[in-house]
Amino acid sequence: MKDFAPTSDAPHPPTVSEARLLSVLDTAADGIIVIDEHARILIFNKACEKMFGVTTAEAVGQNVKLVMPTDYARQHDAYVGSYIRTGVKKIIGIGREVQGRHADGTVFPLELSVGEAATPDGRQFIGILRDLRPRKESEQRLADLQSELVHLARVSAIDEMGAAIAHELNQPLTALMLYLQAIRRAHSRGIDIVTVVGDILDKAANEAERAGHIIQRMRQFVEKRDPERHVRPLDPLIDEAIDLTLLGQRHRIRIDRQTGENLPPVSVDPVQIQQIVVNLVRNAIEAAAGVPDPAIEIRTRASDGSVRLEVQDNGPGIAPEALSKLFEAFASSKRRGMGLGLAISRTIAQNHGGDLLVDPGGNGRGACFTLVLPAASMPDEVG
Amino acid sequence: MRVHVVEDDAGVSDSLALILRNIGHTVVSHRDAESLFKGPLPTAPDAVIVDLSLPGIPGAQLVRWLLNLAAPPRVVVITGQSQGFIDHQLRGLVPDGVMRKPLDVDAIARVLPPL
Repeated sequence: MKDFAPTSDAPHPPTVSEARLLSVLDTAADGIIVIDEHARILIFNKACEKMFGVTTAEAVGQNVKLVMPTDYARQHDAYVGSYIRTGVKKIIGIGREVQGRHADGTVFPLELSVGEAATPDGRQFIGILRDLRPRKESEQRLADLQSELVHLARVSAIDEMGAAIAHELNQPLTALMLYLQAIRRAHSRGIDIVTVVGDILDKAANEAERAGHIIQRMRQFVEKRDPERHVRPLDPLIDEAIDLTLLGQRHRIRIDRQTGENLPPVSVDPVQIQQIVVNLVRNAIEAAAGVPDPAIEIRTRASDGSVRLEVQDNGPGIAPEALSKLFEAFASSKRRGMGLGLAISRTIAQNHGGDLLVDPGGNGRGACFTLVLPAASMPDEVG
Repeated sequence: MRVHVVEDDAGVSDSLALILRNIGHTVVSHRDAESLFKGPLPTAPDAVIVDLSLPGIPGAQLVRWLLNLAAPPRVVVITGQSQGFIDHQLRGLVPDGVMRKPLDVDAIARVLPPL
């Protein structure tokens, strides 16, 4: 301890131990500043020189306000004074985000933790500082990526829906157009169509109505809604979603649908659950597309207080190297973004208190995806 | 001209038959390729309108078969699918016409002129 004891008030050259300490401080990646009770800088390491654009020689002996933006600086003396008087810790031992000021005037976020040491020279405060800008940048980047993810999911959904809508609407539009043109032609040629015109107009109206139904069904899928829960039997939801998936589907495939007996209802957001089903069935169809007799099995059954939907294809199964990344967004090698779909599907399942599981198959077996949903408590059984 | 329509969508098939009769053709409607094969073979100068997306035997396969007949009829493809799908399906096949849905009477009359 003697080594540190001041011999007089005048500055003295550092002793061997002090020099060793200072060189250690200079290797630290974090900024380290030590101040005395009067907020005068005693130690200002190399990392601080870079952080604040001030040399150690310039900094030592100055008030620490040197590296603070003006409004902080104004209050700093008061903080130190208040702590010394009252002993109430506002920052010491806690650490918080503050702002620092570079010599060029740039104000930037810092994480500051402060410790206190009693020394023969009086109280000293040791501040450890970390420039938060790189972290803020990565936070910003993460937020950007997340919003991109949401955007991509939406674009992908709109892209696929768009193709399906175009294909499905073409049928009633074609019929509608031709019915109307048939009437128009007959009319302009003075042909007597009185006996048939009512019939043709009815057919035309039916086609227009059919187009309207297609739009309605699609709209339910695209529109964003608040999460909701309805107690519903699962099978009709699944059947509707299968029909929707097969709209505009180019692959020819055999679908074997088996429904479980006495399935309890589930408490779900019907549209979200149907999105999962569409996703699973579409993936299964694509997975089976390359085999000679493409077929998928879609089964429901009750199991241990839950209802399970299994979608099994007879494709090649999922390669072990692909399995670990299967549910990660962007992991898919497929253009259509199966990974994104599965990531979202699993999230939806888990938000419902369930899960989405996979049996990868392989060696002649196709993959099987299982959607597990907790059974809803039975509605009041009155009478 | 006798025109065979091979189209599984009832609304499209019915309205197409109406407009074809309207412009003077005789129409025979089929739900799929299989039912076309049950009747007498279409030959020139008949025409066959084939929807590319048929249940059972695919439309493109029917088109190939018709074009390979000794006296092929005129073959007109109709479809609501994307251009990429059409190109892929029709690789190497040259039908007498390709019409994309929605159809209208002018397009039909251009490929199968009224009598």
